[in-house]
Amino acid sequence: MTQPAVQRTNPVRAHPWISATIALLIFGCIFCTLYVPIYASITPKAGDFPFFYFYLLAYMPVVAIALWIVMQLQKRLGVDGTDSGEEGK
Amino acid sequence: MSHVNATTFTIVVVLFLVVTLTGFAAARWRRAEDMMHLNEWGLAGRGFGTFITWFMLGGDVYTAYTYVAVPALVFGSGAIGMFAVSYTIMVYPIAIIFLPRLWSVSRVHNYVTPADFIRGRYGSRGLSLAAAFTGILALMPYIALQLVGIQAVLTVMGVGTSSNNTFVKNVPLFVAFIVLAVFTYVSGLRAPALISFIKDTLVYVMVLVAVFYIPTKLGGWGHIFGTAQTHFTSINPATKKPYGTFIPPSKALGNTQLDFATLSLGSAMALFLYPHTITGALASKRRYVVKRNMSLLPIYSILLGLIALLGYMALADKTTVANVKSHDGNAQLAVPFLFQHMFPSWFAGVVFGAVVIGALVPAAIMAIAAANLFTRNIFKEFFKPDATPRLETRVSQWVSLVVKFGALLFAVELPHTFAINLQLLGGVWILQVAPMLVGGLFTRWFDRWALLAGWLAGMLFGTIAAYKSSSPTVSHWASSSDIEFGHTVYIGLSAVIINLVIAVILSVIFRALKVPQGADETLPHQYTVDPVSGPAVPTPAGVGPATAGAVGDLPQLFITTVVPPVATLHRARGLPASRPLPKGDPCRTNGHPGGFVRHEYPCRTRTLRLTPKNHPSLFSYWVVASLVWHRYLGMVARTPLRSRRSMACRQCSRCLAGTFFRCMTRR
Repeated sequence: MTQPAVQRTNPVRAHPWISATIALLIFGCIFCTLYVPIYASITPKAGDFPFFYFYLLAYMPVVAIALWIVMQLQKRLGVDGTDSGEEGK
Repeated sequence: MSHVNATTFTIVVVLFLVVTLTGFAAARWRRAEDMMHLNEWGLAGRGFGTFITWFMLGGDVYTAYTYVAVPALVFGSGAIGMFAVSYTIMVYPIAIIFLPRLWSVSRVHNYVTPADFIRGRYGSRGLSLAAAFTGILALMPYIALQLVGIQAVLTVMGVGTSSNNTFVKNVPLFVAFIVLAVFTYVSGLRAPALISFIKDTLVYVMVLVAVFYIPTKLGGWGHIFGTAQTHFTSINPATKKPYGTFIPPSKALGNTQLDFATLSLGSAMALFLYPHTITGALASKRRYVVKRNMSLLPIYSILLGLIALLGYMALADKTTVANVKSHDGNAQLAVPFLFQHMFPSWFAGVVFGAVVIGALVPAAIMAIAAANLFTRNIFKEFFKPDATPRLETRVSQWVSLVVKFGALLFAVELPHTFAINLQLLGGVWILQVAPMLVGGLFTRWFDRWALLAGWLAGMLFGTIAAYKSSSPTVSHWASSSDIEFGHTVYIGLSAVIINLVIAVILSVIFRALKVPQGADETLPHQYTVDPVSGPAVPTPAGVGPATAGAVGDLPQLFITTVVPPVATLHRARGLPASRPLPKGDPCRTNGHPGGFVRHEYPCRTRTLRLTPKNHPSLFSYWVVASLVWHRYLGMVARTPLRSRRSMACRQCSRCLAGTFFRCMTRR
């Protein structure tokens, strides 16, 4: 029952640019909602919608797309799904 | 009942009957061989895919109270009500950071509740009890608020309003919750999961029809926003202040941008700490399902944004405003009155039915989550450590009934303003679990006693600050925001910062004093694994995740199964790979032939992806073992995963395939 320990490199260290992109996307999504002065204004209006309300509605699909990209990038990082049977830590 | 519209009432009753039948039928959906297991009753076999999880989490997160209270807040206070939209935007980027890790480690170790993870991570029963207590505490008023949502609809429909007797007045509510209690008892998590399809469809229809139809009746969006702006900039003669805010202002106390931002951030952090949302996430079958839903659920948030704007529509409709005023200015009734006025009675019935069903789905999941917390982290941990899965499930079923009826009394007896503010306090409380739960998913640096002290400080601060908050009409529990350093901020966020600071400082001190840290039963790689097979789930009769690792999958090259490679574990801990068990050890008495798991070390289970390449000997043994098992014993060689942290193999005695496998490998 010899089980060779699989030494894996840290995925963040192995793919710094992908990791940075993931971090940027996630924290960007949070920041652009959290920092209210970005969108706390009536103008520019989108149709009849004041900017504040339009921004909040329009930002949701943006977040959905950003998180989908994050998911795809994480697949490339190989941080999940790939190690379900590995022994290494 | 004299003012009840027969058409509306009939449609609501018919929809309720459909939901009731669906709830009972759910027991046969994705049927399990043995429902008397928490993984089946409480987590529906941990087998939901992306589609079902999306509906269920949507049904779980966006409750009836959301449909009633969020537009009510927009109706009453303006832009601050949009914090709900802002926080549902932020919640998914936050949840994607930690929720997949929680799913993975819970899957490997068979954790059913977040407190299970905390117990396993820190080896602390006290910390686990604190998390369980907080979860139950935060959920009780939340369930009660679902009833408040139903009551709002019943009030507008005119049901029970003619009587002064509390019982008679609330008979429809009692009936609704008796039915809810019974089908949850019978079907467990399957019931709300199946019903959420109906609920979400109805809600989508309701909102889309409303946002396209109502503005045409009210003079367009320009008129709706114009009315709201005029209203919220005018001065309320009673308070000598504006009625609300149309856009969050950057200065002045009150509904400032900082208040808006902290309320959004705090609520976003809290949402996926609630046990019921974690229950929904743990019921998904794979890690990627959780992640995929984090990117799909914002679609649901668009709906919430549109629902929030119903508050402005109600404000622009003079009849609705008059109706709300005639009911003591109860803003919770704004949306039901709006629909009653704007739509024919049959569609109003559909909408009211959607709100009622929208209350039942999350209430059921919340009751299940609270019951699981009690059973796993209080009953089993402190009263019956050797409880069988059957007993655990039975206790959970009964506790779910108790929880629901407790919430019913809560909703009926307590004033609604009190209940609504307690829900906000629920967010303050549940946030105090963040350092131990989210922190624990990334680091084991925190000391368990430090976390407990931080939790206590956060809970005390949050509760006292919320209790002290007052308004011209309410002396206590008036708001979830407080003034800190001259700024209005969400109490929950202040409390969790205090909690975290104390936990960090005390951790440094305790580590310097070399205070014992408690055993951590998790391993680093378990936070990112994505095992196909579920842990110790009874073999399902039909579809489900459990079949994925069955012997029927042998032709596939990759067989993912769960076996306890104790020797590997012992090596990882620097122990001898094999040690005989002492006499009288439960492993030995329970028939583990020549078991070699030390009593004091957990009979840990691991997930292995067996391939001829990476584990040649293991793979060949497994193939032979599986074939023998399948061919001669007529059993499916699906090895249940069992993770126990104490008393070693007490529960592994059920793990026949694991025993057999260990036997083979030992030879």
